[in-house]
Amino acid sequence: MSKSRWTNFHGAAGMMLATAAACAQPVEFNRDIRPILSDKCFQCHGPDAKTKNIPLRLDVEAEAKAKAIVPGQPDRSELIRRITSDSKAKRMPPVYTGHSVSATEVATLRRWIAEGAAWQAHWSFIPPRKAAVPTGVDPIDHFIRERLSKQNLKPAPEASRETLLRRLTLDLTGLPPAPAELTAFLKNTSPKAYEKAVDRLLSSPRYGERMAARWLDAARYADSNGYQYDGERSMWRWRDYVIESFNRNKPFDQFTVEQVAGDLLPNATREQILATGFNRNHRINTEDGIIPEEYAVEYVVDRVETTSTVFLGLTLGCARCHNHKYDPLSQQDFYRFYAFFNNVPEIGRGIKYGNSHPYIPAPTAAQEKQLAALNAQMAQLEKELAKHRAQPVAAANYRPSVALDYEQQFPAKEPRVAGMAGQWDIDDRFTLSAKVHSESVPDGPILTRMVDSPKGKGYGLHADHGKVHVHLTSVYADDATRVETEPVLKAGAWQTVTVTYDGSKMASGIHIYVDGVTVKHKTLNETLYRPFTNAHAVFPQPLRIGMGWGKERRFNGEIDQARAWARILTVPQIEGVAGVGDTARIARWSYFENAAPLPVREMWLALGKLEWQREKLESSFPTVMVMAERPQRRDTFLLIRGAYDKPGEKVEPGVPSALPPLPAGETNNRLGLARWMTSRSNPLLARVTVNRFWQMYFGTGLVKTTEDFGQQGEWPSHPELLDWLALEFMDSGWDVKALQKRIVMSATYRQASQATPELTQLDPENRLLARGPRVRLPAEMIRDQALAAASLLVDKTGGPSVKPYQPAGLWKEITMQDGDYEPGSGEDLYRRSLYTFWRRTVAPPMMLNFDSAMRESCTVRENKTNTPLQALNLMNDVTFLEAARNLGALMLKEGLNEGFRRILSRAPRPAEVEILKSSLAYHRDYFSDAAKAAEYVKQGAAPVDAKVNPRELAAHMAVASLLLNLDEAVTKN
Amino acid sequence: MTRRKLLNLSSMMLGRAAFDGLGAAPIDGLPHFKPKAKRVIYLFQHGGPSQLDLFDYKPQLAKRRGEDLPESIRMGQRLTGMTAFQAKFPTAPTIFPFAQHGKSGQWMSDLIPHQAKIADDIAIIKSLHTEAINHDPAVTFFQTGFQLAGRPSIGSWLSYGLGSENKDLPAFVVMVSQGIGNTQALADRMWGSGFLPTSHAGVKFRSGADPVLYLSNPAGYDPSARRRFLDDLGKLNQIESREYQDPEIETRIAQYEMAYRMQSSVPELTDLSTEPDSTFDLYGPDSRKPGTFAANCILARRLAERGVRFIQLFHRGWDAHSTLPQQIRGQCGQTDQASAALVQDLKQRGMLDDTLVVWGGEFGRTVYSQGTLTETDYGRDHHPRCFSVWLAGGGIKPGQTYGETDDFSYNITENPMDVHDLHATILNLLGIDHLKLTHKFQGRHYRLTDVHGHVVRPLLA
Repeated sequence: MSKSRWTNFHGAAGMMLATAAACAQPVEFNRDIRPILSDKCFQCHGPDAKTKNIPLRLDVEAEAKAKAIVPGQPDRSELIRRITSDSKAKRMPPVYTGHSVSATEVATLRRWIAEGAAWQAHWSFIPPRKAAVPTGVDPIDHFIRERLSKQNLKPAPEASRETLLRRLTLDLTGLPPAPAELTAFLKNTSPKAYEKAVDRLLSSPRYGERMAARWLDAARYADSNGYQYDGERSMWRWRDYVIESFNRNKPFDQFTVEQVAGDLLPNATREQILATGFNRNHRINTEDGIIPEEYAVEYVVDRVETTSTVFLGLTLGCARCHNHKYDPLSQQDFYRFYAFFNNVPEIGRGIKYGNSHPYIPAPTAAQEKQLAALNAQMAQLEKELAKHRAQPVAAANYRPSVALDYEQQFPAKEPRVAGMAGQWDIDDRFTLSAKVHSESVPDGPILTRMVDSPKGKGYGLHADHGKVHVHLTSVYADDATRVETEPVLKAGAWQTVTVTYDGSKMASGIHIYVDGVTVKHKTLNETLYRPFTNAHAVFPQPLRIGMGWGKERRFNGEIDQARAWARILTVPQIEGVAGVGDTARIARWSYFENAAPLPVREMWLALGKLEWQREKLESSFPTVMVMAERPQRRDTFLLIRGAYDKPGEKVEPGVPSALPPLPAGETNNRLGLARWMTSRSNPLLARVTVNRFWQMYFGTGLVKTTEDFGQQGEWPSHPELLDWLALEFMDSGWDVKALQKRIVMSATYRQASQATPELTQLDPENRLLARGPRVRLPAEMIRDQALAAASLLVDKTGGPSVKPYQPAGLWKEITMQDGDYEPGSGEDLYRRSLYTFWRRTVAPPMMLNFDSAMRESCTVRENKTNTPLQALNLMNDVTFLEAARNLGALMLKEGLNEGFRRILSRAPRPAEVEILKSSLAYHRDYFSDAAKAAEYVKQGAAPVDAKVNPRELAAHMAVASLLLNLDEAVTKN
Repeated sequence: MTRRKLLNLSSMMLGRAAFDGLGAAPIDGLPHFKPKAKRVIYLFQHGGPSQLDLFDYKPQLAKRRGEDLPESIRMGQRLTGMTAFQAKFPTAPTIFPFAQHGKSGQWMSDLIPHQAKIADDIAIIKSLHTEAINHDPAVTFFQTGFQLAGRPSIGSWLSYGLGSENKDLPAFVVMVSQGIGNTQALADRMWGSGFLPTSHAGVKFRSGADPVLYLSNPAGYDPSARRRFLDDLGKLNQIESREYQDPEIETRIAQYEMAYRMQSSVPELTDLSTEPDSTFDLYGPDSRKPGTFAANCILARRLAERGVRFIQLFHRGWDAHSTLPQQIRGQCGQTDQASAALVQDLKQRGMLDDTLVVWGGEFGRTVYSQGTLTETDYGRDHHPRCFSVWLAGGGIKPGQTYGETDDFSYNITENPMDVHDLHATILNLLGIDHLKLTHKFQGRHYRLTDVHGHVVRPLLA
């Protein structure tokens, strides 16, 4: 059997598209020559030649012409002599490289030299040029047709209206058209009908989800940290930012600046800061034994690789260990770019479960609203209370009652177990307070909830020879945060010690007060990253007073008014607890709390309740990891061979030297970089972006190597079109929706996608676009379409990631002792696939079967395979069986044709109707066995209408399953 | 026009992704030379087995028990974050006796009496070393030649390069079994295809009703109904194919047929009830329990019989930072007999000659004790600087020990061999020049051995 793999089609398509020889047109350096020189010669005779002491560079015109190329005289050119030499010793490239120059390539090089060896700067590094377009012609169609006519080809006619609406709806929203939408469209015979459909779909909230799907691949978005433990993280607020940005049609330059440097914008809004989550989506290693410095470097490298791939189409990562072998990017360029991203206050070992620093609370719009409402209510109550004058009451008995979890009022000399109060873990917010007194310098445990042994797991407030010591410990040396003050506790005096903790796991999240006055502390350890209840184990320790560091350690005095609150007290409240500060205020609060008339006390209590609600609300805010700058810039060094522990020369931040410099006066930081990237002088951003969008519609970019616009990247199939679109995109103010509209309005996009064997042979990848796109749907669209066709899809935008069906055991088999994947219920089972929880080390299997990006690192090229595992997936996965059952139930009511339309957006042909009917008849017969029918229809969690005849339902379900498995169903025609 | 291009053009008619991965033919020019092995069974011991307690005999250590590891040996070399802060590094000799076995007199501890019986069939490498000191990067390095995720795994390179010899089964199969020791995480990407088409990714075979995900028809739906379903599906797809003339449609029809064949070939393969008692006697009592390492070893042999190119077993639980003696006894109890049985079984079936068997983990363990050292107990941290792996069959010169380490099994003193060398050697045995099996991605011609790797000739028969 002859073989076939898409990987070999580079050769075939490249031959057809790129050989000047075949088209009898002049050789063009960028199109015909540079790819040969780059692939076969630059590895040694390229930008990195100097390192290897090789005395010839073929990437520099002057040097090449001085030493190896004589324009007009191929036979006198050393280049030709060497690549055609019979001598094994002289022949280039040397055998050991594994490369050879083909006869066709030699002929092309000869012709080029004979024609004068004209040189060109690398096409993507020079600004785009706008070629003239005749008036009255769609520019896209103009460039596509110009190319077609050179090959004596004609464009295809427009696709049928049914096909067109399905193609358009899938492309713009990722979903098939609803039956009613299709009917309305077919009825509307106005010439504007198509454009109206485009506008309708562009303004659908589903549009943002569709666009976001590919952006998440590029931004390596996931819901887990990756690497060994692969614990959960929370970045979905950033994901929702992306969806909202596309839906609001945020200009792409703004979208770029916000994600690269939103935190550095003047008066940055929460949304702008949140956007920088883009560069915190990388994997974070939390393994116990790692050397944090090593991974801190990897995070920065990932940011460089992702940022340069997504916004510049450059493989800058290749210059990490040495100068780039092909492109004019030096190792210095790499580390200068690296320096922009090397100033985040982060630690190489991340938090095991949850977000690693820096991160911000990122309330949703609904939560912001709730917060504002609470604040308004509290302000109102405070205003009311202000009208009441406080009467004198006994002072010093003030204590905030809100969220008071434990209280012990009487001086205790004997340590005691205070019961199961204070059940907080490392990401909870709480306050501990106690009055302490000792005849000698206070020493020993004050309030603890920990395993009762030295260095035990848990939290504790201790006195250590007069120092206040606070610890949160999962594993004493490796996994703990500990702080202590100077000796501030005195012998022979009652002092109030109060500690607040904000759930951040950081030393900076701990505040210590003695007698209401804040006391500085120093960090002893700051590596806490696992909860006390490490994953699923329980941590059943009680709160202890005056004890909790093993049997030997006891507080050496008395403790009174030990209290613990499940929230952070405000500073005035802490002063109140200590009985210091504004005495009038304390008196007033005590009055309201204890002695005021009932209606006033009720108001006071109501205020407290609101305060508690606000606390609960605030601590429920999702967080999102963001970029931030250290106050003191971290020095960046070139790393020799890329190794974290081999720093070389110090470098300053900077943009690659082969590209235009930062404009004079621009700040040399990430914000400067972002502005530079989005400036018109950058030749890459618009081209790279337009190309990626083009790929979404046609399956392949105008530049096939969407990830590489360098010399090893592929020459664009339509360079003038790419430039035209790039300039138009910038001129429009980076209007993303306008660009999408321009593409889908073109006749090129609207062509029918039928091929002929001749056309397939000439242009197997459809690069010339003599027919419309015909590509397999991306993974998420296949599932979403099935849910939509079965009326199961839940149309809800955003929110935490959800867990639809997944075969049992997949997590447990290969991950750490975290328990298995637990599928969600209700709506969670039917959300769009973009919201499916993405665990990096065990990604959703259906998504992987259908070539989804792995989300381990930046992926911008779409990849499509055709495998038996996909067939098994569509036939036997409960997701598709449940959808088939519900679609079957719909067909029972609406008829086979309607079911067909729900997926394929067209009426079946007579021959198809025959097959479907025959299949239905077969299955009716097959399911006359009631037991089989009952078993077969039992799929998933969605309810089955008990009134429906199970045999009929099963037979229709089987036909629906057939429809979901059709090639046409998983393909955009 | 070259032959290759002609081939490309004719095969285009079959669809861009025709027979990707499953049932695929080798790429042009492969194998580069006559292979000695046709397939590989890789018994990955996940977590890092202790070379000091299994293969790397250090009799001199007994008298140094408890002594601090001399600085002259450690030479300030980096340690993991788990023991870097340890105040002392007490030398912990193994408590397990060693003896020489077979005609070749290979040293092995009495933890592995069954492997002792195949001493003359295996080549033990004592001088393997790696760059990584933590599990995830170390396993990723072994699997893909690079410490960070993103590159194709060795099995997917072979699927891509050599294709499959069986049109009903994947070319690269993975099975995971659970150990009793301290367990570390694996990840799907460790057998992923990186930048190669995803059809070359390892297909995980699991114990239970669905050996391959989604393999079984839903309850109530018999193979006869599925056959009819596929016939109808084929007819409908043919209509589509006539309309669009896209070769991809023919490919999809073929893939559905292959899926159908897998529905019978895979259960037939994983059904061990046809194996005689002698098989289970050979592989040990565990082999009757589906999902165990021993049962997976029998499956590995059956996959090899059916021409699967790369069969990889992962047995977890070798990460003994503490209570090593207890943990390693358990791990060996689960793996020793079956590992040896597999080699013996292949040999008696005449398959060992063209099947390469690899046994080993991602790194070794330290000579010094992590945590407290007692007469009967110790732990060992990760040790990347030397560890032991064995190879058998498929062109390997058996009954030899390759490489030597110092008296502490800390540094290599003779014939160092890195992970790239192991990869280059494995590829060589399969008839592949590791410099020439490349794939262009991001402008670079990538290979499994990155820019390194030497074939270790002394290991070859």
